[in-house]
Amino acid sequence: MHNGSTTDYDALIIGGGPAGQAAAIELANLRLRCAVIDEQARPGGQILRQPPASFEASHWAEEASYRPLKQQLHQFETQSGIDWLGRRSVIGLQSDGTSHSVLISGANGLQQFTAPHVLIAAGCYDLPVAIPGWTLPGAMGAGAMQTLLKAQGILTGERIALAGTHPLMLLIAAQIHAAGGTVAEVAFDQPFTRFAKAMGRNLGTGLRHAGLLAEAGKAMLTLRRAGVPVRFGRKLQGIIGREQVAGAIFAAGATEEQIACDSIGLCYGFLPQSDLLRQAGLAVEWAAPAGGWAARHDDWMQSSTPGLWVAGETTGVAGAPIAREEGRIAGLGIARALERITPEDAAEQAKSSRTVLRKMAGFADLLAGLADPREALTRIQPPETLICRCENVSAAAIGDVLRETQDANAIKRITRCGMGACQGRSCEHALLRMIARETGQSVGQQPGFTARFPARPVSIGDLLEHDLQ
Amino acid sequence: MWLAEQASPGHGASGQNAGSLHFQIERRFLEREGGLGYEGEQTARLSRIAVEDWSSLETTMDIDLNIHMNGGLMVAHSAAEVELLEAKAAREQAMGLSVETIDAAEVQRRAPYLSPDILAANFMAAEGHADARIIAPTFTQAARSAGARIFTGTRITALRKHGGHFSATMESRGPAQAGGSSRPAKTETRRITAAKVLICSGIWSRQLAAMAGLHLPLFPAPLTMNVTQRRDPFLPYLIQHVGRRLSMKQASAGNVLIGGGWPSRMWRNEHEFDFTRPPALVAESLAGNLKAAVETMPGIVDFDLLRSWTGITAVTQDQLPVAGEFPAMPGLFCAAGGSAFTLGPTFARLVSRQILEQDRAEADALLSVASPARFESLNGFMGQ
Amino acid sequence: MTRRSDIMHRPAPVKIELDGEPVEAYPGESLTAVLAAVRHSQSRIDDAGKPRGFWCNMGTCSECFVWLMDDEAGGGRARSVRACLLDVVAGMRVHTGRAQPDA
Repeated sequence: MHNGSTTDYDALIIGGGPAGQAAAIELANLRLRCAVIDEQARPGGQILRQPPASFEASHWAEEASYRPLKQQLHQFETQSGIDWLGRRSVIGLQSDGTSHSVLISGANGLQQFTAPHVLIAAGCYDLPVAIPGWTLPGAMGAGAMQTLLKAQGILTGERIALAGTHPLMLLIAAQIHAAGGTVAEVAFDQPFTRFAKAMGRNLGTGLRHAGLLAEAGKAMLTLRRAGVPVRFGRKLQGIIGREQVAGAIFAAGATEEQIACDSIGLCYGFLPQSDLLRQAGLAVEWAAPAGGWAARHDDWMQSSTPGLWVAGETTGVAGAPIAREEGRIAGLGIARALERITPEDAAEQAKSSRTVLRKMAGFADLLAGLADPREALTRIQPPETLICRCENVSAAAIGDVLRETQDANAIKRITRCGMGACQGRSCEHALLRMIARETGQSVGQQPGFTARFPARPVSIGDLLEHDLQ
Repeated sequence: MWLAEQASPGHGASGQNAGSLHFQIERRFLEREGGLGYEGEQTARLSRIAVEDWSSLETTMDIDLNIHMNGGLMVAHSAAEVELLEAKAAREQAMGLSVETIDAAEVQRRAPYLSPDILAANFMAAEGHADARIIAPTFTQAARSAGARIFTGTRITALRKHGGHFSATMESRGPAQAGGSSRPAKTETRRITAAKVLICSGIWSRQLAAMAGLHLPLFPAPLTMNVTQRRDPFLPYLIQHVGRRLSMKQASAGNVLIGGGWPSRMWRNEHEFDFTRPPALVAESLAGNLKAAVETMPGIVDFDLLRSWTGITAVTQDQLPVAGEFPAMPGLFCAAGGSAFTLGPTFARLVSRQILEQDRAEADALLSVASPARFESLNGFMGQ
Repeated sequence: MTRRSDIMHRPAPVKIELDGEPVEAYPGESLTAVLAAVRHSQSRIDDAGKPRGFWCNMGTCSECFVWLMDDEAGGGRARSVRACLLDVVAGMRVHTGRAQPDA
């Protein structure tokens, strides 16, 4: 077996997005050896998801906000001293106090690495929004729609709709339009006044010109000029179709309106990837407003377990510019812990990142407030709505049990919700909202599922061929 | 009848075990003292009753419990193991358990997915499995319908006997619901009195007995279970191994459950084991369990492992369960210890008869092997 | 057509086998891209007989598990893999659905 079990690395980095890259670059600059593990074949993360090496994209990630990220990606790809372990999934993370072991699954079986430091920069994923029809072919997370376009040159339909609360929808719609696709509608759940108010409050701060919001503003103009409807206060009730998506139903006031589309991207926000955090027993907290479990950390991005570090969306979804600075600080923190850099030098070098983080904090809050999906997500699902996609568990089946118990693990045992291949990543969020509704508490006060090994299904043959000791 | 559950029904070992209904003498008893131990024989006696209890459970309770009793195969890979099987079967037959020894060809005929290296197996038609994840919640519903008051999210914080009756303090937390209607928003404390008390709290039973001032020497056994992705039904039997730690069965939903008593690692506080955290998975146990599974059923090598989990069961030093009344404290009963999933309904039925004084002598006799009376040597030191 | 050639230059197409049918795809392309192009993003039929789409295209949702047949790296076994993390290779054979197909 391709057993790469070594302790040669000073640090292992899980995730090759902006945070993981930034940390790796810091470590490599200080001549520390690290490996970066990622499920994608090439580095970039979701934000800079690269086309296959055999493809050649024109106009790839051209928008201005991508520029600094592309510079960093180039630096990462050309920097020596970083081992890239692409197309591999981390399925296990265990800590024995002084060293941490990471079990990795790939096409050639398993590999186990141990290192004194592990950085979890695993990013985030599209918030799964359990509404009627969300399982139909053609309905997907808006991020899926965007990565198919960006990295594969694929439009997912002839008439594509986007619905949700997150301004990223505008960018995706503009990208679809630019690629020659037809956008049926961009439907914001919230009223336009929420945007206007938030922008108004921040008129003097310059925040509304920052990053994603500036891009979103530009995109809005482009879409309007192209005659693409961008509407507000459109509350998505369900997606219809038999074999595939055929349309979407919105409630506007007391009436319902149906639009025709053959693909729809749902864009209500993003959840931190938290299965490894929770498998390793790290302290997490509920990440309001969108939700999910975010890692707690100290000033150097060290988690509640010494030697395990966190950066980027894993600590709460705040966007790539913030993820990058957190990754840098984590890299410096690891080098500091390894005594490769003095505490004074580390503090000095981290200053610029901390300044950016302070400046960006207001932007992250503004964006989170604008994109707040809670009102949309607390709407009651019709009983037939599938909550657990893996095990076909409906809202009705969970509702029956909710009166008896409000413990996520108990509900899992009784209904099988969360027992499938995704380990609850697709349903836990909706289930916790149902529990909160039942108990009258706020979401996240009740714990979620107990995280179990393996984080991704793995063949028994692979597990056995590998020496698991 | 009041029932207090600190979390929710099935939260502990009863919901986390792999759901085997195993009535053959277990490997753990066979490997002791180089042969068939007294303990194995005694639990086999209880197994005979348990077979009847599980066979009639769905009818008497009029509920669907996903019980499958299509038979169980305990397999052997070596000549020495075959000898063990034969001796075991002879003993079981003498005790009235219907067990036959089948040869390699017959094993292949009945279960062609098992390894051709298997030399023989004991077959017992009554073995099988039930869905551990739904048993406790379903029983809870039935108990409630029968008039019991169920308090979930409720811990016992004090338990003692005054004169002829017991008093207990119950603390209900969080969103747990009481009875079926009212739902305390925050911690609610209740004092209750009862003529009789049954401790059936798995590994926590020891602490509850201690509250009452008694020794109940139960020890945590942190175990590992595994489940594969769903497959179309192919495995009607419970599969066990006479010489290796292994149990395999296919759940109603299609997943194959793989267990067999492989250890996991308890978390520890400064002074004691921490029962509140799920034990940590041990790589050697995972590998050992899967290796035993593949050596017994080679095709399973292609299956994806979906989830490994750990749970804590409770065992006594003599590995026999504990069921019955404490002689040192009349009115206090216990039902806990190993094999309590398979033997649970039987304990429930017989201990209830003891509590209610119905055909008590017969129930006492049947449970004598599990009686807490064997801890009298310890509890004799305990002043009340 | 959902594959855009103006923004993405692809190498010459190759043949793969999807559920026993020959399908044209591009070396290096992800299998979810193939499913988007030829199956309207359908990844499976669920236990209730309903067609399912994938959700995340990033390895997380587990909706896109397919069987990669006679996989060399897996010792010639069929392997259950996520379509979104599977790159097209000429001649590869892929089956959708939960049941492991006969080789």
